[in-house]
Amino acid sequence: MAKRKSLIKIKPKTYKDGEVVKVSFMVMHPMDTGLAKDKKTKELIPAKYINNVKFTYNAKLITTLNVWETLSTNPVFTTYMKINGKGDLTVSYTDNTGEVNENSMKIKPKG
Amino acid sequence: MQRREFFKTLGTVAAVAAVATPTMTFAAAPVSANQMSYENALSAITGGKTPKESSAIKLKAPEIAENGAVVPITVEVDSPMTDADYVKSIHIIAGKNGNARCIDVHLTPANGKAMFATRIKLGGTQKVSAIVGLSNGDFLIASQSVKVTIGGCG
Repeated sequence: MAKRKSLIKIKPKTYKDGEVVKVSFMVMHPMDTGLAKDKKTKELIPAKYINNVKFTYNAKLITTLNVWETLSTNPVFTTYMKINGKGDLTVSYTDNTGEVNENSMKIKPKG
Repeated sequence: MQRREFFKTLGTVAAVAAVATPTMTFAAAPVSANQMSYENALSAITGGKTPKESSAIKLKAPEIAENGAVVPITVEVDSPMTDADYVKSIHIIAGKNGNARCIDVHLTPANGKAMFATRIKLGGTQKVSAIVGLSNGDFLIASQSVKVTIGGCG
């Protein structure tokens, strides 16, 4: 299991309970379509892309994404989320070669 | 009589060649494993229903994208996002890409706001559509054409 660089960002940085915040998830991934050729070897680069992303907050699934190879390299997924108490926001993602990864972040509402 | 038959066979040969050549060139080029046309993608999402054009969807996409490899797309839907009435799913499809489907987003009322943004690849100038599935089973659609200077697929 290759470790991938990923990042969860929440805007605004400080938030209250019940507030709706913007959540961005970025991941370093090649998202190869399987159609492009390697410039040196002239061989096709096999397809490798993220096909499923899950946002889980306090053990509750809030958003599921089905993804195809038509997304850009190093994709960014942005959505909104309602803050509902302290807990963990976990983003897990799988790709078509069976690679499974996840990243999590602590949610601490103020006030 | 011979002449007439000659032309007949010539006609059929030409017709066969015309049909065969595009498929042959098609097979030679690498094809995505998930090859899907716009119509197939649409029916796979809506299950045969015709989505309604709606102004409730705000589809933000650049009119001219210099680089087809990175095209930012934002879809925002006016919805109260309560348990009774919420946006169930947002789908982004690009008609002329080899695989028209880009992403399916399944939302829940816990999202609070129906919005999704990402960056997609476009193979050429084409229409990008956002299809929104509501909790009552209806589908809405909004489209915008994006002019691509340099294609980003392959």
